[in-house]
Amino acid sequence: MKRTGILFFPAFDWSLGDSHPEREERLLYTQEQLFEEGILDLPQIKQFSPRVATRHEVLRTQALFPNSEAHTSTLDAHLIAAGSAILLGEARVRGDIANGFVLARPPGHHSGATVWGNRGFCTLNNEAILVNHLRAQFGIQKIAIVDTDVHHGDGTQDIFYHDPNVLFISLHQDGRTLYPGTGFVNEKGGPNAWNQTLNIPLPPGTGDEGYHYVLENWVLPQLQAFAPDLIINSAGQDNHFTDPLASMNLTAGGYGRITELLQPDLAVLEGGYSIEGALPYVNLAILLALAGEDYHHVREPQKLDHPVLTLASLKPYLQELKKQHQTFKPNFTIQNKEFFPQGNWIYIPHNVYYDTEGFQETRHDYIRQCSHCAGTIYIESRRSSSPQSILVRIPFQACPECEQAGYDLWDHLLHHSEHTSSGLLQNQLHDKLFVWERKEGLTQL
Amino acid sequence: MSNQVGIDVGGTYTDAVFIHDGNIQHTAKIPTRSENIVETLLDAFDSLNFVDETSIDQISVSTTLVTNAILQDRMTPVKLLLFSGNGMKVDALPWPVSYRELSGEIDFRGREIEPPDQGEWEKLKSFDLGEPALGEKPAHVAIVGKFSHRNSLHEEQLASYLRQSNPSLQIALGHEWGQANFYRRSLTTYLNLGVSDLYHQFAQQLQTAVRTRKINAPISILKADGGVLPLAKLRPIDSIYSGPAASVLAALAQNETSTSSIIVDIGGTTTDLGLVLSGAPLLSSKGAQIGPFATLVRSLAVRSIPVGGDSVLRATEQGFSLESYRHGPAYCLGGNVPTPTDAMRYLGLISYGNEQLAEEGLASILPQERRSPKFLHELATAVMETMVDRIVEAINSLKREWQEEPAYKVWEVLHPHENQTFHTLVSGGGARGITAALEKRLRTPVQLGCYSEISNALGAAMARPTFDCTLHLDTYLKHYRVAETGEQGKWKGSLRPYLEVEEFLDTLAQQQAVRYGIKIQDLEKDPFDFFPIVQGYKTVGQIVRGAVHQRPGVIGRVSI
Repeated sequence: MKRTGILFFPAFDWSLGDSHPEREERLLYTQEQLFEEGILDLPQIKQFSPRVATRHEVLRTQALFPNSEAHTSTLDAHLIAAGSAILLGEARVRGDIANGFVLARPPGHHSGATVWGNRGFCTLNNEAILVNHLRAQFGIQKIAIVDTDVHHGDGTQDIFYHDPNVLFISLHQDGRTLYPGTGFVNEKGGPNAWNQTLNIPLPPGTGDEGYHYVLENWVLPQLQAFAPDLIINSAGQDNHFTDPLASMNLTAGGYGRITELLQPDLAVLEGGYSIEGALPYVNLAILLALAGEDYHHVREPQKLDHPVLTLASLKPYLQELKKQHQTFKPNFTIQNKEFFPQGNWIYIPHNVYYDTEGFQETRHDYIRQCSHCAGTIYIESRRSSSPQSILVRIPFQACPECEQAGYDLWDHLLHHSEHTSSGLLQNQLHDKLFVWERKEGLTQL
Repeated sequence: MSNQVGIDVGGTYTDAVFIHDGNIQHTAKIPTRSENIVETLLDAFDSLNFVDETSIDQISVSTTLVTNAILQDRMTPVKLLLFSGNGMKVDALPWPVSYRELSGEIDFRGREIEPPDQGEWEKLKSFDLGEPALGEKPAHVAIVGKFSHRNSLHEEQLASYLRQSNPSLQIALGHEWGQANFYRRSLTTYLNLGVSDLYHQFAQQLQTAVRTRKINAPISILKADGGVLPLAKLRPIDSIYSGPAASVLAALAQNETSTSSIIVDIGGTTTDLGLVLSGAPLLSSKGAQIGPFATLVRSLAVRSIPVGGDSVLRATEQGFSLESYRHGPAYCLGGNVPTPTDAMRYLGLISYGNEQLAEEGLASILPQERRSPKFLHELATAVMETMVDRIVEAINSLKREWQEEPAYKVWEVLHPHENQTFHTLVSGGGARGITAALEKRLRTPVQLGCYSEISNALGAAMARPTFDCTLHLDTYLKHYRVAETGEQGKWKGSLRPYLEVEEFLDTLAQQQAVRYGIKIQDLEKDPFDFFPIVQGYKTVGQIVRGAVHQRPGVIGRVSI
């Protein structure tokens, strides 16, 4: 019998605003449904209780700018969601469970490598924090993240864009028709991780049949080729035909089938805002599928009454998309700053809009081209016209040159900090973190 | 001045205690004559030597009657009809009884999704729900719908349909158990109906005995949650597992008011464990499991482990093993097999039993060449340690249940249970012998409890009523539900009530207490949860959840 873990954390006392989609009510009916079904009485289901993620666990993956204190008043719920993901991930890696469902609020997949605030309802990236925790603490090497939220998982993509050991696949409603407006086939990964990011934008109206077809014919072969140690599913539920924010046509049963096809080690809730029409049923179907139980009797009361894109009309679209995907070749700009350590540094400018509070982050990303490892990363980031903050990341399994390059960059920051207000050095290789702030000076976490 | 009588009607023995102003006056232990409960009770009353029967204020009874009837499958047969709706397949969970599924569906807000099919109901007539034959008991039918705790419509409709053609049917409806969990609600409704005849018979016998001795005191029954309720108000199924609850209460009555304690009751074959946190016994976060039945019965968090003073010790290649069964009394008390009691006797921890026999019994576990005082002493010590290991393991599992209770709010996660200093209270036959070993391992003071031979009766006598009133209010759909009684009513208040809902809950609680015939004091209030209901970015109403409780506890202390 497969043992399935569930960590249900509905954050009943937390919202992003009174009538905000991310509000107390969001998982209320899911609780009613799961508890009424008696799902916790299934012998294979084991319930876990949440915990708070530590500052170290967060900063290992994401830089909180200008500093973590600036976020503390708003971070509690996010820290619990991230800590919950870690807790269940650890249970999976220890073998206490065969798979699990982190059914927690708030979501995280729009939150990227640098964080100035909340965007797309997300502040901390639960999956990314989990993934790097398992790599740092349990030596897990290869992890695949499949994002089945209707929105492009741009934050997750940002965090792992240069990482050859994390395969990130996002299926979503075409970014030309939906927030955040990214996730096109040409976004295929950084110079050291080319083809480790796969975006599959789908046309509005896609239903169960089309979605499953894409999984079976594109996603699963990619997963198989990558042969990851773990598969994480960012299980957003806003592809459901009743979702108020998107225009796809999946059903609760369709989500059960997605879970069955992906066989994730962990599913982590992301978005999904049809809190009465979809969530209770979709969550139930996902959990049943994880537990190896029949989910075909899960049926949402509302009937799907608008036209679903037929497989026949989706197939040519997909063919064209695949062709496009293949035609994109790496095309990067080398731009070395005078103080950069030896090597070729790829420059990628990157702007991020924070919709919750309405401001812009301007980023200059530099990646050390490397044929041995993921390459050290140097990011200059500023919110609107504020002074810049700097992230230096020495990646997991970094080669000696890249590690040295990371320390050289960090050293340079400490000695030439006139235009900088704060910085973070993520040494993922040795799981060490250094924080520098103009006022506080240097601290090691 | 108060006079309490506690009675514990067990399968083998009936224990009784008479307490006057916190002082134990008399105790009695007599064999239970299950064929004549009235006589048994009369004997028990007589051995308590009342001076004045009319001065007795309260009789509290704990009984294993319902527990045993369920475990021994002596229930009245019940037909179980389910409105199972869509969702998880019904047979994904193990059903210890047969059922029949009917169409009709309600959702989590209590809205009707699909009406029942009257055509299916027609066919129920051939499902053996007909008129009872002469002298036969009327058929018992339990009707339970998924989400019936949010809307009892289908259950009520089917009940009245069945009653029309057969007024003598005994029908129980699931929504009266107003908590979530369709599976447990179904089995709880089934069990409660299945044991009701038996329980009513017992209630009559109890009243007959009390009246015969001219006692006017009200009779209460002890429940699994450690509270008492008047005989006529109790739902029979709530009386299961009152034994372990009683031993926790008995310990509580002999303890300081506000300490946190681990309660250990060591019997011949089993050891019962409970947890008291700052004076309040810990309730289990799940309903009680009885035999193959998962229920919604609220119970104290207790553990029962198969190890006791008479557990069999068996020689193995590694030395010995402590078995989970009993073969009569300990060797030193004339039995045939060595037991932990023999180890205690050998080590001089207890004074009863024959010392020579204890040594002989223990020696039988050792190989011939190692039967020296040194090895015997080592063996006896190891036996005690093994026993303590098992007990401590169960204590830790109880503490984990407490510490790892699921949390659904940010506030709860940020304010976890603080670690507390626990005292340990040990009672029961083997108590004296294990105190030292337990104290050493737990590194906390271990205290010996008294009156362990009548602790269930004592616990019953000292128990106070428990009370819970849990409100679920949907101001948009304008209805409210009360979990404990299954009451479903119309909400006439505002869409976004605040103080109004506090008063409403207070009123409901007062009414409910009057209906139960109990006095409630120092009610504990859970903070209300308010869920704004939003439609199209507009708040249209609220779901409000709140509850008040009177936690299990004792009416006073007894002097020891």
